[in-house]
Amino acid sequence: MKYEVPVLDPAPVSTGSVLLEADNMEIQFNLRGRTLTAVRKASLQLRAGETLAIVGESGSGKSVFAKSFLGMLDRNGRISGGTALYRGVNLAALKTEQQWLAIRGRRIAMVFQDPMTALNPLKPVGEQIREAAALHRTMDKEASRLVALEMLERVGISEPERRYKQYPHEFSGGMRQRAVIATAIACGPEILVCDEPTTALDVTIQAQILELIKNLQRDMGMSVLFITHDLGVVAKMADRIAVMYAGQVVEEGMADEIFYDARHPYTWALLASLPQLGIKGEDLFAISGTPPSLFRTIKGDAFAPRNPLALKVDFEYEPPFFQVSPTHRAKTWLLDPRAPKVEMPETVKRLRQKLKDKKAEDIAASGTGKAKARKETSR
Amino acid sequence: MKAYIVKRFFESLLTVFFVVVAVFMLLRFMPTDGYFDRDDYTEMSEAARNAYLRTLGLTDNPLVQLGRFVVNLAQGDWGRSITVYPRTSISEILLEKIPYSLSFGLSAISISIVLGLLMGILMAQYKDGIVDGVGTAYVVLVRAIPSLIYLFLIQIWVTKLLGWPMLFNERNPVSWILPAISLALPNIAWYAIWLRRFMVDEENKDYIKFAVSKGVPRRTIMFKHVLRNAAVPLVQYLPSQILLTVGGSLIIESIYSIPGLGGLLVYAIRQQDNPLVQALVLIFSVLGIFGVFMGDVLMVLVDPRIKLGKAAKSGGHA
Repeated sequence: MKYEVPVLDPAPVSTGSVLLEADNMEIQFNLRGRTLTAVRKASLQLRAGETLAIVGESGSGKSVFAKSFLGMLDRNGRISGGTALYRGVNLAALKTEQQWLAIRGRRIAMVFQDPMTALNPLKPVGEQIREAAALHRTMDKEASRLVALEMLERVGISEPERRYKQYPHEFSGGMRQRAVIATAIACGPEILVCDEPTTALDVTIQAQILELIKNLQRDMGMSVLFITHDLGVVAKMADRIAVMYAGQVVEEGMADEIFYDARHPYTWALLASLPQLGIKGEDLFAISGTPPSLFRTIKGDAFAPRNPLALKVDFEYEPPFFQVSPTHRAKTWLLDPRAPKVEMPETVKRLRQKLKDKKAEDIAASGTGKAKARKETSR
Repeated sequence: MKAYIVKRFFESLLTVFFVVVAVFMLLRFMPTDGYFDRDDYTEMSEAARNAYLRTLGLTDNPLVQLGRFVVNLAQGDWGRSITVYPRTSISEILLEKIPYSLSFGLSAISISIVLGLLMGILMAQYKDGIVDGVGTAYVVLVRAIPSLIYLFLIQIWVTKLLGWPMLFNERNPVSWILPAISLALPNIAWYAIWLRRFMVDEENKDYIKFAVSKGVPRRTIMFKHVLRNAAVPLVQYLPSQILLTVGGSLIIESIYSIPGLGGLLVYAIRQQDNPLVQALVLIFSVLGIFGVFMGDVLMVLVDPRIKLGKAAKSGGHA
């Protein structure tokens, strides 16, 4: 069968309107004859110019979900349901490599978790960036080389001419991640998927890389889909947050709404697990139990078995989304008018207070601090 | 790098020297009756035997003999064979035999590189498919069955089927084909299985996924990234393999009766033909050691992460 190369709607998408809309996506993997449903009817919207963070435990399907927008599922994986609409094209229906080449890199690009392994060890770093640049723009070798040099400079790598010729092993971890980012943005993508881009880096470098991504996003007007399990990173980066559990988005809202006014018990548990909220002398909070096996069909609310606040109905019927505000919704029976009134846990309230205090401090200190940080990274 | 090469060169020289001296000395500990035919030995008197050994220079102190060997060698004199080709000059023997072994060896290597690499690429590309299965079966068969069996079968059946001569005949070009292919069979398997393995390893690495995510077409990735990187570990063995073809193959040269070098060393040792053994050991050790050395140098050229000698210390993280 011959598949048509997708024709993207070229109309500009204004900031804030939906750029990528995943609806009821289901992604399955075939593992030794058994079917694992990694993403179970998950939906999300990515708006132009925003940073959407997908948070969740390992195995919640966040990474698989995001990878499916680039057709990067492993060979045994497939999108078994739902749609992902991007500029009039349903990404979930793309089959061939030829089709995906119209999307990958040039429209939707990706930054990998571990910069130590994301670059070809036997090719000069500059060449790898040039390879990406040359793919999507019709240009000769020299022109693409200049683009690569420009990208190196753009991600804050000094002496780009010298660095261009160096091999990945001559770069430090942070520098490599900058090079990876330079490669990803070399074609000017509209969406940048960042799959835990700072997890493998040490803390001081983390902040620089986050700042870099933020600046690039602003300068290039990209939308960023940020996958992480680090709520600290989320707080720094995200405009909006989607919380994933067992292959589903369970709560979605503006960053403030999630941090200050979370409604889903799983989100509460995640927030309560922040070590910063621990009290000296007391045990840190941890979510008991393990996520459900995704080989089996899940009945009711997937989080119910681990949820001390679970209602009877949670074990029987899957909750629908309840709208909390126009931008905030959560998939929990607790929001049903018939549900008993449940208060959010103390720790989460404490977080709320802490964040409020911190914000007040930040506002007081803003201007000077931010300007300084920017100066440091651009150096 | 230059200093490293010079250092390695002298180390290699030293290794060759030790190998040759060790073999030289061991040969001198052998009982002297090995230098005679059984008939000669019983017919000769004690005095005649001693006189014969004296003409061969075997009665002198082994160290004196060693000195003589080295001096002669420096003048280009390899000595003369004692028992295998009595009184024939060794350089003459070598010059006559090496071209056969070398030409068969080189054609076999070329065949195995081309076919082996092709097979490896296809097996990796269609991993777990039919091609991969057939390829794996081939590799397992070639490795598991004693080579004598399939080599004989090839010789008997293929010559019969195509009406080709059973034995090698210099003037009949067709008779070159089967020995060369037979010689290549195990090497094809070797290249195929290792290239497949390294390519599959590389394919699953993050940088390949990253290359996919930036929009590089699969085919380009296969050749520019996967194949290129998977070939690196193989490159190291290439020089040794090429150089050691000089030695020929015992089995193939004997079943097709090719007058090459294969098996000559074994024969010479059994016949206690000291000068021939010494010459062959010297040649093989030089080629072997030089091959490894060339392999290492080649690795530096294809893998930028490897730095030889002092450069390695000043390099590192930036």
